[in-house]
Amino acid sequence: MQSALGLHSSTNLVFGSRKGVPCVVRAHVGAERVSIDVQNVNLCFQKDSNVLPILKDCCMSIPEGKLWMLLGPNGCGKSTLLKALAGLLKPTSGKLYVAGPKSFVFQNPDHQVVMPTAEADVAFGLGNLDLTVEEVRCRVMKSLEAVGLLELSQRPVQTLSGGQKQRVAIAGALAECSKVLLLDELTTFLDESDQMGVVEAVRRVVSGSDGVTALWVTHRLEELDYADGASYMENGHVVLGGSVAKVKKFVLEKQEEYKRSISF
Amino acid sequence: MTAAWGTLLCVHPCISRRPSYYNGEGLVPLRSHRVDCFPQKLFSGRQSKQRSWFAGVHAVAHGDGEMPRFNFIQKLKKPSGISFGEELMRLIAGASSAPIAQYISSPRTLLHSLDPRVKQAWLFVLVFLPSRSHVSVRVGIVMLLSVITILFLPRRTWQDQLGRVSFLSVLLLLMVSLGADSIPPIVQTRTPPPQLCGIPPLPSSFTAYKYVLWKLGPFQLTRKGLALGTTSACLSFTVLQSASLCLSTTMPEHLAEGIRWYLAPLRWLKAPVDEIILTLLLSLRFVALVFDEVRNIALGIVARGVQWKKLSSLETAEVFFTFLGRVFKNLFNHSEQIAQAMVVRGFQGDAAAHKVYYMANFSLQLPDYIAILALSVLIGVGVASEIMLC
Repeated sequence: MQSALGLHSSTNLVFGSRKGVPCVVRAHVGAERVSIDVQNVNLCFQKDSNVLPILKDCCMSIPEGKLWMLLGPNGCGKSTLLKALAGLLKPTSGKLYVAGPKSFVFQNPDHQVVMPTAEADVAFGLGNLDLTVEEVRCRVMKSLEAVGLLELSQRPVQTLSGGQKQRVAIAGALAECSKVLLLDELTTFLDESDQMGVVEAVRRVVSGSDGVTALWVTHRLEELDYADGASYMENGHVVLGGSVAKVKKFVLEKQEEYKRSISF
Repeated sequence: MTAAWGTLLCVHPCISRRPSYYNGEGLVPLRSHRVDCFPQKLFSGRQSKQRSWFAGVHAVAHGDGEMPRFNFIQKLKKPSGISFGEELMRLIAGASSAPIAQYISSPRTLLHSLDPRVKQAWLFVLVFLPSRSHVSVRVGIVMLLSVITILFLPRRTWQDQLGRVSFLSVLLLLMVSLGADSIPPIVQTRTPPPQLCGIPPLPSSFTAYKYVLWKLGPFQLTRKGLALGTTSACLSFTVLQSASLCLSTTMPEHLAEGIRWYLAPLRWLKAPVDEIILTLLLSLRFVALVFDEVRNIALGIVARGVQWKKLSSLETAEVFFTFLGRVFKNLFNHSEQIAQAMVVRGFQGDAAAHKVYYMANFSLQLPDYIAILALSVLIGVGVASEIMLC
């Protein structure tokens, strides 16, 4: 699909379609350079004559070098937006820009991990890069160390727990040394300590490297503390974006409103 | 993961009469304070009556983060008088989610450090040698394989592997040995018996040679049966156990790299070697997903508390067809998602262009040369036995 769209994970994703015509978009907001820019994106699924709109006029800009969280209720279109950013889905209209190279981590690690052992899977994403075996080995070991799985590097994937498989998937993304990380509910399968371990690992990657941006889809408010900014989606469009405090306040207010609506 | 949630059980009467949890050594009855909620509190009115079988009991235990070694579905007490359909579904739900003879990374033994190409050469020879050599060589190979397995694999693993393979081989030995000549085919001779022609019958052997070695009722053990039985049993044991030993001590990608090395000459014939190897690697990963999916869906059906006894044969079959349909649907969904993941990770459909790193430096070391020498000796013994003893 990616090649059909003219996209490649190791190059800048530049996608825009106005009336179905792809165009090159370079994103800047003021003086600040952005890594992800979404402008008036609409995405519909069509089955027979029924058209189901998933994304409705979505707008979002994420500055370079930030860990950005994307929140929202189930079915609001977060994962769809992330897949569109990864190039897996083609928007019906609007503009998308993602700096490259980029990596995507799926919600379910069984969909992401494709090789039989942990280290082979981490190395799989490096297959299209022109690297020496030593460099690949170094990247794989560093990535596995970052997620705390170095001692399990040769374990068959099916013997790992859900959380460990998720960490292998994250290590695969880290090994690609991408400029943009698209992370879809990474902590779903993790226990409490692992959740924080993974958030901290991503935080370290974003803070420690030059210009790495992460867009993190989550439902957990406590993970917001690690973010530089956040956006909130509802019913297919981004209703709020900005500082963590602003989005957190908004979400808490919505929770209170919901509690009041169900109490007698 | 030093302290992981060990076991989370959702217990209902179909699985166990009494809620319990696994503490690393065995099942422990659940104490009252561990019961989080009762079904009557969860559902009300009609819903409660309909789902009164459901007991939403959650039990938690701390583990060491390792894979559970205990199959709780099988160990939990079975309700008495369960139907065949339920028994079969429970059997599927209780099966291991890991394929047989998977790679064991720890403890690392001498066999782990052997070059995979040498191990594959051994495998190849062990498949062909027993079929041609003398019975003593066949038995010798079986004993050699058993000793190597016991020496190099952890106790629990070799007991499991040798137990299963030995059982199968002994069963095969008995069936083939006794069955080969026990029911002789009725053959109409093309000439009249010697008595009718006035010819004296053939004299019985003056030596101790006997074709029938042992006879009991309709069963008889003959020389032909013994030869067939030992050949099939030894061959089965050798093929299965050598493959298990190789898979247990070689990483899947190293195996694939070894096969790629052997298939390399086929590139001259324009054979898609890289594609074959990538397909093999993906299959090795997918096999585990298939096992997992089948087990999970079966577990889901068992947990639904289907009233199997009230189902007719047709309805039971319908449940199994639904089960199969669901398995295939989920597996196709998995395939699609994996294909998407591969695309996102830079794979563009050309196996030759996307390099797969095997993380291994293949170079023959001293143990490899010793293994090659031993293999040559074994081939020599096999050939000599064929010439001198057969």
